[in-house]
Amino acid sequence: MNASNFINPFSIREDEGSFAGDFYTRNFERQARKDSIILNLGPQHPSTHGVLRVLVELDGEYVLRAEPVLGYLHRMHDKMGEVKTPYQYLPNMGRVDYLHPIAWNWAFVGAVERLASIEPPKRAEYLRIISCELNRISSHLLWWGAFVLDLGGVTPILYAFEEREMINDILQIITGSRLTMSYFRFGGVCADCDSRFIKLTKDFIPYLRERLKIYKALVTDNIILRRRLEGVGPMDTDICLRYGATGPVLRASGLSSDTRRNIPYSLYDNFEFAIPAGPSNDCFGRYLIRLFEIETSLQIIEQAIESLPDGPILIDKAPKANYKLPAGESYFAVEGARGQIGVHLVSDGGKNPYRVKLRSPGFSNLSLFAEAAKGTLLADAIAILGSLDLVIPEVDR
Amino acid sequence: MTEIEKLIQRFKQAGAYVISNHNFKKEGLTVSAVIDASQLKTLAKDLYRQGYSLLDLSTLEVKEGFLLTYHFDKFEKPGRIALRVLLEGPGPIAPSLYEIFQGAEWHERESHDFFGVKFAGNPNLIPLLLPDDFQAPPPLRKNPESLTSLAALKLFGSYEILSSRWETIINSKVENIS
Amino acid sequence: MDLSIVSFVQIIVSVLLVIALMVANAVVMVYIERKMAGFIQRRPGPYEVGPYGTIQAVCDSMKLLAKQVFVPGNVDWLLYFLAPVTAFLPVLLLYLPIPFGPYLTAMNVDDGILLILAFAGLGVVSNLLAGWASNNKYGVLGAARAVSQSVAYEIPMIMALLSVVFLTGSLNLTEIVDSQGSWPWQWNIFAQPFAFFIYLVSLIGETNRAPFDLPEAESELTAGFHTEYSGMGFALFFLSEYANMLLVSFVCATFFLGGWKGPFLDGFWWTFIKAYAIMVFMVWIRWTFPRVRFDQLLNINWKWLLPLSILNLWLTAAILKILSKIY
Repeated sequence: MNASNFINPFSIREDEGSFAGDFYTRNFERQARKDSIILNLGPQHPSTHGVLRVLVELDGEYVLRAEPVLGYLHRMHDKMGEVKTPYQYLPNMGRVDYLHPIAWNWAFVGAVERLASIEPPKRAEYLRIISCELNRISSHLLWWGAFVLDLGGVTPILYAFEEREMINDILQIITGSRLTMSYFRFGGVCADCDSRFIKLTKDFIPYLRERLKIYKALVTDNIILRRRLEGVGPMDTDICLRYGATGPVLRASGLSSDTRRNIPYSLYDNFEFAIPAGPSNDCFGRYLIRLFEIETSLQIIEQAIESLPDGPILIDKAPKANYKLPAGESYFAVEGARGQIGVHLVSDGGKNPYRVKLRSPGFSNLSLFAEAAKGTLLADAIAILGSLDLVIPEVDR
Repeated sequence: MTEIEKLIQRFKQAGAYVISNHNFKKEGLTVSAVIDASQLKTLAKDLYRQGYSLLDLSTLEVKEGFLLTYHFDKFEKPGRIALRVLLEGPGPIAPSLYEIFQGAEWHERESHDFFGVKFAGNPNLIPLLLPDDFQAPPPLRKNPESLTSLAALKLFGSYEILSSRWETIINSKVENIS
Repeated sequence: MDLSIVSFVQIIVSVLLVIALMVANAVVMVYIERKMAGFIQRRPGPYEVGPYGTIQAVCDSMKLLAKQVFVPGNVDWLLYFLAPVTAFLPVLLLYLPIPFGPYLTAMNVDDGILLILAFAGLGVVSNLLAGWASNNKYGVLGAARAVSQSVAYEIPMIMALLSVVFLTGSLNLTEIVDSQGSWPWQWNIFAQPFAFFIYLVSLIGETNRAPFDLPEAESELTAGFHTEYSGMGFALFFLSEYANMLLVSFVCATFFLGGWKGPFLDGFWWTFIKAYAIMVFMVWIRWTFPRVRFDQLLNINWKWLLPLSILNLWLTAAILKILSKIY
C-alpha cells in the first residue's frame, strides 16, 4: 500500500492489467470513448431505488451513453407460474410490484377469469376498484416523495409516508396486509368491507385533497423544483411508442391513453373520470400527471363508495387450489400505477398453466431511459430515472 | 372497411398462414395472425406507421418449435392485436424488431435468456435478467415429454387457415394430457 | 504583535478553547439539526438517548471514534490521510481573529478578515485531496464540483464583505464591530442589505450546504468527495463542515449584525445568539429545498451574485466618495 499503487481514475482503461470490470462493464466499455469515465450507478446507489444498476459513460458531468443492467432482483416469476397451480401462484402477484400489488392481483385474476369465463359479482368489482385506486394513490404518493428525494428534497417523502400509512391502515382492514397484498380471488375478493372501512375511506378523501393543496404550495410551486424539472428529459409520443412505454410516461407525452378507458375492464366504464394528457412531455409533465392521477383516483373512489351495491363478494364454486384451467390463452391488461400491466396466460388444460408471461410496465419504461438520458447532465439523468417511477422487483420480475 | 378488416387484408397480403378473430372479452385480443418470420419486420413497420406500439413479446415452447407472440396495441379501440411467428427446428432464430421498435431489444434479450431464441439484428444480445455466467440451459425450456402441441393449446380463436402446413398443425389430433 | 511568552501562551490557550468550541459546536449542531429536521418533517427526531435525546450526538461521536477506519484498496495513502487533517486544521486558525466579545479575541490582528478569507480558501484543497486520493469516481466528480463551487462562491462573498470594509475603513474585525451600534438599525445590515443577502447566499454555497450541497449530492454522487471515508476520517470532515458553518455565521454576525453588540447589554452572548440564528436558518433551508443542478448553481453565482456584488461594491464606493466630498 503506497502511492505507486494509486490508479488514476481517468486513465483507468489504459491500464488494462489492473482493471477488471464485470461482464457488463467490459461490454459497455467496448464502444466507449478514450477520454470518458465509465461510472456504475448502482446496484447500490441512493437514487436507483433498489438494485437497479445503470452504466453511464460520462464526459465531465454529461452523460454520453447509458445502459441499465437488470436482474439483481430477478426471481423468475414466469417459471413459478408454470410449476404452481393458479391459486398457489396468486400470492406471487403481490410480490411483483410491492407498491401497487393490487393491480397485479387484478391482472392475473383477470386473466384466469377470462380463460375460465368467470364473471365476478358486482360488489366484488366495486371493492376491487376501490382497493385498486386506493393502492394507486399510495403508490403515487411514495413515488412523489422518492422523486423529490432524488432531487435532493428530503422532507416530502416523510409527508408522503404519513398519508401512505393512512391508506395502508384502510387497506389493511379488507386485505389483511400492508405491503404485499393478495386480496383478489378468482371470481371475487377474499373479504368484505365493513362500516369502518367505508367511514375511514370517506374521511380520507377530503383529507387528502387538503393535503394535496399543501403539497402544491410546498413542493410543486417551488422554484428550484421547477427549474430542475421543466424541459428536462422530454419524451415525445414517438419515442414512447417505439419503446412501448405506457402509463403516466405516455400520457405526459400527449397521448391520452389509459387502459381503464381504452380497453375497459371491470366496471370502469360506469365511472366519471378524466384521463389527463400532459401539458408537457418533460419531467415536470410526468410529475403533474401523477399528482393529477391521485385526484382522478379519489374521484373514482368517491363514486364507487357512494354506489357500493350489496351482494356476495365471491361467486359460488369459486376456483380453488385444485382447479384446472380450460385450454386456451388469455391476455388481461390493467392500468397499474406505472402503466399497462399485462398477464399472458396459456393453458393446455392441465393443473398448472402452460405459460405465464408477465408484462411489467416498468420494464418497457426503463428501456427508454438509455435514449432519453443521452446528452443530459448526470443530475438530469437521475431526475429522468426518477420520473419513470421504477419499482425494481417489477422490472426484474 | 373498418380498421380491423384493413389489418386482416394487410396480413393476407403479407402471406399470413392463419388469421384469427378473437373474442376480446374472452381472450383479450382482437385479431392475431400467424405469419412467416421473413414478413415480421415489414408488418411491424406497417403497424408502427399506424401508431401501434410493441407492448410485449411472449415466447411459447411447443412441440413444433417456438411460437413468438408479439403483442401490439394502439391505446384506442380496437384493442390488442398479435403477430405470431413459429420458429421450427433446432437453433431457433428470428429477425429482430430493434430497428422499428427499439423497445423490442429488451423483450428479445429476455426471450433469449429464457428460451435461447436468437434474434438476428439485435445489437446487444447479452443476458438481461439472468447473470452473465449462467451456464445451465435456458430456464423456461420444458422437458420434451411435457411439451404440448399447438393444437392442444387452442390459441387461435375463430380462425381462417391459409396454408396447408398449418392445416395439419392446427387440426392435428390432440393427445390426452395427463 | 510581539511574540512574547504571554502572547504565545495566549495563542496556545485560545487554540485549545477553539478546538473545544468546534467539538462542542458539532455536538450541539447535530442535535439541533436533527431535532429541527424532525420538527420540519413532523416526527420527533432523536429522543431515546438521554432526556429528549440530548446525548444522542455524544453517542454518535463515540461511535465514530470507535469505528474501524476502513481504507479501500489502491488509495493514495499519504493524501488519503492528509485530506481530513487539511480539512480540519485551517478552520482552527480561522477562529483566532474572531471577536466573540469586547475582550474575547484570541488574536487581535489588523487584517483579520484577510486571514480568514485566505485560510478559508484552503478548505477546498482538502476536498480535492480527499476526492482524488480515495480512488473513487464519485469522489473525483465530487472534488471537481467542490473546487469549482468554492472558487466561484468565494468571489461574491469577498465582494460583499469588502463593501462593509469600505464602509468601516478597516480590516480589523474588532473595529468593524466597534463601528456598529447596539440597536439593530445601527447594524451594517441596514447600511448594506444587498451585501448581506449576497453573503447569506454565498455562505451556503461556500459551506456546501443544501440546496448547494453539490459536492456531496447524495442522490447523484452517493457522498461525493468523502464517499470512501469512514470512522474518524469522516468525523473530521463532518467536524470541519460544522466548524465552517459556525465560522461563516460568526463572520456574518460580526460584519452585518453588530457582533457582540446588542440591545440592553453588550457581551459575547449576542455573538453566539446571532451566529446560531444564522445556523438555524441554514438548517431550515436545508430541510426545505430540493437541490439545484450544478450548472444552475454556477449560473446563480456568475450571472447574478457576482455582477450584483460588484455593482453593490461600486455603489458603496461611489456614495462614500460623494459623501466625503460633501462633508
